[in-house]
Amino acid sequence: MDPQPGGIMPAGKNKILILGIGNDILTDDGIGPRLCDFLRERFSDTVADFEKLNVGGLEVLEFIDGYETVVIIDAIKTVLGRIGDIYLFTPDHFKETLHISNLHDTSFITALKLGRSLEFNIPGRILIIAVEIKEDMVFSESFTSELAERYVEVQENVMQHLEYLVPELSRPPERSPLQVN
Amino acid sequence: MKRRITIDPITRLEGHGKIEIFLKDDGDVENVYFQVPELRGFEKFCEGRPVEELPQIVTKICGVCPGCHHMASGKAIDAVYGVEPPPTAKKLRELFYMAHFVHSHIAHFYALAAPDFVVGPTAAKAERNILGVINKVGVDIGTEVIRQRRIAQEIQALLGGHQTHVVMNIPGGVRKGLTEEQRADIEGKAKGFIDFAKFSLKIFNDVVLGNKDYVELILNGPYSLTLHSMGLVDENNKVNFYDGKVRVVDTEGNEHCKYAPEDYRDFVAERVEPWSYLKFPYLKKIGWKGFVDGKDSGVYQATPLARLNAADGMATPLAQTEYERMFEVLGGKPVHSTLAMHWARLVELLYSAERCLELSTDPEITGKDLRSPLPNIPNEGVGIVEAQRGTLTHHYITDDKGMVLKANLIVGTTNNNAAICMSLKKAAQGLISKGVEVTDGILNMIEMAFRAYDPCFSCATHSLPGEMPMIVNIREKDGTLIRSVIRRN
Repeated sequence: MDPQPGGIMPAGKNKILILGIGNDILTDDGIGPRLCDFLRERFSDTVADFEKLNVGGLEVLEFIDGYETVVIIDAIKTVLGRIGDIYLFTPDHFKETLHISNLHDTSFITALKLGRSLEFNIPGRILIIAVEIKEDMVFSESFTSELAERYVEVQENVMQHLEYLVPELSRPPERSPLQVN
Repeated sequence: MKRRITIDPITRLEGHGKIEIFLKDDGDVENVYFQVPELRGFEKFCEGRPVEELPQIVTKICGVCPGCHHMASGKAIDAVYGVEPPPTAKKLRELFYMAHFVHSHIAHFYALAAPDFVVGPTAAKAERNILGVINKVGVDIGTEVIRQRRIAQEIQALLGGHQTHVVMNIPGGVRKGLTEEQRADIEGKAKGFIDFAKFSLKIFNDVVLGNKDYVELILNGPYSLTLHSMGLVDENNKVNFYDGKVRVVDTEGNEHCKYAPEDYRDFVAERVEPWSYLKFPYLKKIGWKGFVDGKDSGVYQATPLARLNAADGMATPLAQTEYERMFEVLGGKPVHSTLAMHWARLVELLYSAERCLELSTDPEITGKDLRSPLPNIPNEGVGIVEAQRGTLTHHYITDDKGMVLKANLIVGTTNNNAAICMSLKKAAQGLISKGVEVTDGILNMIEMAFRAYDPCFSCATHSLPGEMPMIVNIREKDGTLIRSVIRRN
C-alpha cells in the first residue's frame, strides 16, 4: 500500500504488516526490501500489507501504529554467523538495537516503549526476521556473491518461517456473503 | 604508562563510530581519536548513470537527511544543465525543505539533546533518553512532539512524493505543484509549527537557562572551541538553508570569505588522516595547521551555531528576536560554546516554522510554472544547501549526454570532523584526570561534546548487530586490559 498523498501511511486495510527494512543500494543491506517484494508476490495483499523502509526508530513506530501483527525483515551482522542464516527475534530479545534503531532520534525498542507510554496502537505481536549479511558499507545494487548464492534458500526459509509464525498469511481471505465470484 | 579508554559504539548517534581516549601515565588525557567507518564507492556507483537520476538515488545515502541530499542534488543538476528553476518551483522546494528542518530539529532536540539537560547528564542511563524526558515533562508534551514531527513528515510526503525517498526535483524544477486546498492546509500546519517552536524554546529557557549549573556548563564547561564558522546566507547575509552563498567568518566574527557554490574548491580542501575513514575539510586560504583552534587554524565548524555566527541575522522576525537574545545572553557574537548549538538549533526551528508560513502564504506558491526548459548541453554543476548538521555540497561532472562521469560530495558532518575530534579531546581533558573515576556519567558528558553537532555517520545502513555493546577499555601502555566497562542502553 503506497503512502497516501499528503499523509503518512495510515493503518492499512489489513491487520498484518510485513515490513522490509534496509537500503537497496548498499549491497546486502537491501535484503529486507528485496524479501518484502518477494513475499508480496507469494502472499495475497488481501491478508497483509507489504512495505519497504529505509528508516528506523520513530518512523518505524509511525508505520506500525494500528496493525495487530508486524513482521520486520532486516539484515544482521553477527560475529560468527554464516552469510544467509536466518534469525528470529522479538523485541524482548534486544536490550538495544543499533539499526532498526537507525535514526538520529531513538532506537526501535525505545520507540516502542515511547509508543506504549503515549498510548499508540502498538501491535500486539512484533516479530523480527534477520538475515546474516556480509557487506553493507559499499554502494551496489547487487548482493555479495556469498549472499547471492544462498538467496533462493533464504527466500524459502523466510517463507516457511512466516507460514509457521503467521499462519493467517496462508489462509484465503474471508469472503463477504454478499461477494460474488 | 599510557592507558586507553574506548567508547564504541557511540550512543544516540546516527551511524556508528568509536572514540579512543589515550591517557598519559599520570592519568590525564593525552589524546582522543574519533573514528568512523564510511560508506564507500558512491562516486563509482554513480558513474554512467543519467544525472537526473541522482536526486532520487542520493535520498538513499542517508535515512535521516534524505531531503537534504535531494535538494543539493536538485540544485546540482540545475547547474549541470545551466538553468534556474522558475520562482514557484524554487519556493516549493524550499517549503519542502523547511518542513524537513522542522521534523529533524524536533527529533534531535527531544530525543538526543533534551535527555542530557532535562534528565541530567549524569543521570542513570536507563532514564537518559526520550522516555526520561517524557517522564519529566509529561505525556501530553511527548504526544505533541510525535504529532508535530508527523505533521512535518506529511508535508514532506505531499510536496516530495514520499516523506523519505523524495522524488520532487527534476532538472530545472519540480514534478508537481500545489493546489489551493493543499496550500491552505500547510498554512494551518505551519502556524502549529511556530507555536511548537516557541514552546520548545520556552522549555530550553526554563529547564536549561533556568539552571545555573547548566548555564555554567554551556559558558565555562570543557565544551568551547574557537574556530571559524561557516553557513549559507542570502543576499542580505541572513541565514538561508536552501539558497545563497557560503559565508565564513573568523573567530572574531569578521568575514573571511564568501563564495558561490561553483567556487567551493577555491576555499575548501580535504585532508586524509591514517586513523580515520572520514576526511577532514579545512579552509584552503589558511591551510592545515593541525588539530588546533584559534584564528590561525584552518579548521572550521558548519553547525547551527556556526550558521548563526556566520550570518548577520535571521530573515524572519520571531527567530531574529531569539537570535538577538541568544547572543546577548551568551556574551555577543561569535559564540564558541559547543553546547550552545542546541540553543541555535531551536532558533533555527523557529525560523523554519516561520519560513513555512511565509512560503505557504506566498502568492506564487500555487503557480503553474514548475520547470524551466533545458536548452544547454549538460556539463558540470555544484549544488549547496545547508543540511541540518552542516553545509552540504554536491558536485557532478557529466558528458554531453548528461551521463555522470564523476561525483563528489562533502556532507554536513564531514565539515565538522576535525572540530568533533577537538571537542571530544577538550571534553575528555576537562573531565578525566588522575584520581577521577571514569563513570558512565563522565563518559556521557564526553559524548555530549559530539552529540551537540547532531552528527550523521554511515546512517544509511540498517543491519542489526545482535546487541549494542559500548565497551570502554582501559589498558596499560603495552595493551594489557586492566579494566573494561560495558555500556548498554
